[in-house]
Amino acid sequence: MRNKDKRDNRSDLDSNIDPVVKYADPTRGLDPQQQSRRDFLEGSGAAVVAGAGISALGISTAQAQSSNSAARTAISVTVNGIQHSLEVEDRWTLAELLRDELDLTGTKIGCNRSECGACTVIMDGQPIYSCSQLAVWANGANIQTVEGLAVNGELNPVQEAFVANNGPQCGFCTPGQLMTATALLNNNPSPTTDEVKDAMVGNLCRCSNYNSIVEAVVMAGEQGGVA
Amino acid sequence: MSELTRTGLEPLNIIGNETARVDAVERVTGQAKYTRDWKLPGMLYAKVLRSPHPHARIVSIDTTEAAALPGVRSIITHEDAQVVWGSGSVNGGRQYNDPTKDATLHRRYIFNNPVRFVGDSVAAVAATDRHIAAQALTLIKVEYEELPFVLEPEESLADGAPQIWPEGNLCPDFRGELKPMVSDIGDVEAGFEEADHVFEERYETSFIHNAQMEPRCALAHWQRDKLVLYTPSQGISNCRHDTARDLGLEDHQVQVITKYMGGGFGNKNQNQDADLVAATLSRRAGVPVMLEYSRREDWLGVHGRWPTVQNYKIGVKEDGTVTAMELRGYSGMGPYRKNSGGISGMDAYGCPNRYREIHPVYTNRTTSGNFRAPSEPHGFYGVENMMDEVAYQIGMDPVEFTKINMRRPTEEQQFTNYSLEEVIDDGVDRFNWQSRRKVVPGSDDGPIKRGAGFSFMMFRAGVGTSSAIVRVNAREEYTLYVGVTDIGPGAKTTMGMIAAEALNVPLSQVEVVWGDTDRCPYSVGESGSRTTIMTGIAVVEAVQDLQRQIADGGMPSGSDVLIASASPTPTTDGKTRQCFGAHFVEVEVDTRVGSTRILKYTAVHESGRIINPTTARDQIRGATLQGIGQALHENLLYDPKTGQPLTPGYYRGRHLTHKDIPDIDVHFIEVDDGYGPFGAKTAGESGIILAPAAVANAVANATGKRMTSLPITRDKILGAMA
Repeated sequence: MRNKDKRDNRSDLDSNIDPVVKYADPTRGLDPQQQSRRDFLEGSGAAVVAGAGISALGISTAQAQSSNSAARTAISVTVNGIQHSLEVEDRWTLAELLRDELDLTGTKIGCNRSECGACTVIMDGQPIYSCSQLAVWANGANIQTVEGLAVNGELNPVQEAFVANNGPQCGFCTPGQLMTATALLNNNPSPTTDEVKDAMVGNLCRCSNYNSIVEAVVMAGEQGGVA
Repeated sequence: MSELTRTGLEPLNIIGNETARVDAVERVTGQAKYTRDWKLPGMLYAKVLRSPHPHARIVSIDTTEAAALPGVRSIITHEDAQVVWGSGSVNGGRQYNDPTKDATLHRRYIFNNPVRFVGDSVAAVAATDRHIAAQALTLIKVEYEELPFVLEPEESLADGAPQIWPEGNLCPDFRGELKPMVSDIGDVEAGFEEADHVFEERYETSFIHNAQMEPRCALAHWQRDKLVLYTPSQGISNCRHDTARDLGLEDHQVQVITKYMGGGFGNKNQNQDADLVAATLSRRAGVPVMLEYSRREDWLGVHGRWPTVQNYKIGVKEDGTVTAMELRGYSGMGPYRKNSGGISGMDAYGCPNRYREIHPVYTNRTTSGNFRAPSEPHGFYGVENMMDEVAYQIGMDPVEFTKINMRRPTEEQQFTNYSLEEVIDDGVDRFNWQSRRKVVPGSDDGPIKRGAGFSFMMFRAGVGTSSAIVRVNAREEYTLYVGVTDIGPGAKTTMGMIAAEALNVPLSQVEVVWGDTDRCPYSVGESGSRTTIMTGIAVVEAVQDLQRQIADGGMPSGSDVLIASASPTPTTDGKTRQCFGAHFVEVEVDTRVGSTRILKYTAVHESGRIINPTTARDQIRGATLQGIGQALHENLLYDPKTGQPLTPGYYRGRHLTHKDIPDIDVHFIEVDDGYGPFGAKTAGESGIILAPAAVANAVANATGKRMTSLPITRDKILGAMA
């Protein structure tokens, strides 16, 4: 039930009213009881500064205690059309589940704290930061990763446009950029440049290949979107 | 939409045509394997415990409780793992010099005592799971004796400052002597005598983290006495050599593998402490070890562009001729000297009297190191804002002032070619400089003000040693072996295009083998914008050797192959070889809130012949945007009371996002000077050199207020306008 509640809350974010907020921090508002991971980490960072002083950077005592036991929960999740029933450790993030258990290493972890967007996957139609979702929360969800974009070896239009217009430089942010762009085009098949920038503001690129990425997404839209 | 235009040369068969990367499909389907994507049987996960103090002596470390945690396999500290990280601190910052590393006065170990910055490594744990490793870190009991600390370079040199090293806080030069870096050309005092006006100003620039998207990591795997190291390195050959030296091995006992790498941006054409920590843990545990840094650790524990203070004094005649230039600079290196601490830019001027004195200084901030064009963007910002201000003070157009004073070829120092004037003139036309520039800075009425800025540069495009091997089989399939890694600029594709052009075959007939020291010959590494030129020349010469073999004995038949290799050391016949660029930018500053918006950006570059216009364009655009971030946003602030870093991470560092990005028009003037592969020069670093200077000059032109410190954040603009 708890998981279902969360998805219901997330559907509040599905509207196109404020895509910046929606994409910038998908953990917000998922569960009134649930502090966002970013808030949690910001708080724990301050605790390190003010506190005992022997903690490792960014690892708070609270986090350590919560990971004392490796409790496991059985979940069922559909990833790229394949249903998996498996036990996950309660402390695993969705990104860890995808990368370490399902060997879908296309999803990247750039910051592990909702800052960069490299870990973006599509969950029940929404682009989300998989570093900031626990794997147990994905129970019952339908997830698409970068490995699921091409069908029978045919690249989707966003992938094609990324190839043609040099979407990747180092390529580390590319899977996340592709997932957010695909989710955008699913809802808005031919977005304007500004709409692309609004939708993708939560996906950073330190190579700063932003111009090429936006051009590629607009190009993909002009060629018919992802339908 | 931004524009890409080119003039000067026609495309060849392959080279000069917009070409998709040879590995583009791997990159867009998630198949490209980065270091953290490897998984080896029995692999452990490792994490590093870091100092929470800016300066402290470790009195004791107790790892008993951590070691007892189920799943923990190995713990190392400064007490039992005394491995020198040769590249971590070098006399004079001389990275590729073994004798200097041997003679280095202030050695950096993988774990140090005392710890000298927040983030300095204290211990590392390998465990069966990354969560267990993280938990074990919290169980290590460290008793620190806190020491006084210093954050600012000038304070660090003051009497009574906390001593970070016994000999003091001025970094030793390559001889181990504690002297500043001095360059004294002509007679600067006579030059000031000759001047009608003398101007002085102080400029400051901030620490800029590399912030590559892939956090630092390393996977070490020992096979008997051979180390296999998967690591994100910009230079596998140098990384192998460094790692072998630091671990007491021969080069052939180390294999470095870097297939895909999530960005470089400098100081990674070598080994890293992560490589040595992973190797040490793996050797002790007897199984492969994957060491992973968090984003915060990467921000604080790795390196970034050194913050600087630049005090300029410029003498100028009424007619705009600069008669003397003086710079007294300070570079904050953190507590270890990884690189030079240089502040470049004055060399782009022809003034015969130039004095430069730079003090690379130890501080208790995170370590500084090379970032894309290591000495240039902050230096060009300083000197070109100084000169821009001088130009306006004496009532001249900065472009005209530049043309009077910029460096030009001389009898004594010829250039392979010189196109700086053409580059500037082209930019003036494309950008409509005369109509966008405010002759009187800050003269727009109202609170929203527009203005335009300009910057110019030349940057080394020298030649040097690198190697390549090319092989052909009976089916006319060519395999090119080059020791490049593909950190983003597209070296695999560029090398493949150069080979295909030289072979006169389609690119699809050339397979590129890269990123593995056991399979590829020496490459200079992806730093200094050198790969396209140096490894490119080696590719051309290897192909020529192969063609001679084919001419002599024909193509191979059956299962035979022909193999050719080259390790050339070309020269430029005593001439200097430079690439050239000029940037023009129009900004709009809202003086009510202090925000700066970029309205138009024109980048004109002469980088020789462009091999792949698509990737070259994005080197310029990406570097320019990084430079805009440096100009307007990025900084690593510290709390002066506690020595704690306040703004690590992408949000706090205020990195550019999609919504911050202006269109950037790129124009290449193509030239073949007869050197370099098909005439190619440097491109990767040149964009970032120009952006901070141009943006800051534009802000000054819009507001009428010179911004003397980067980043130009809102508070600084509001303060200047108040």
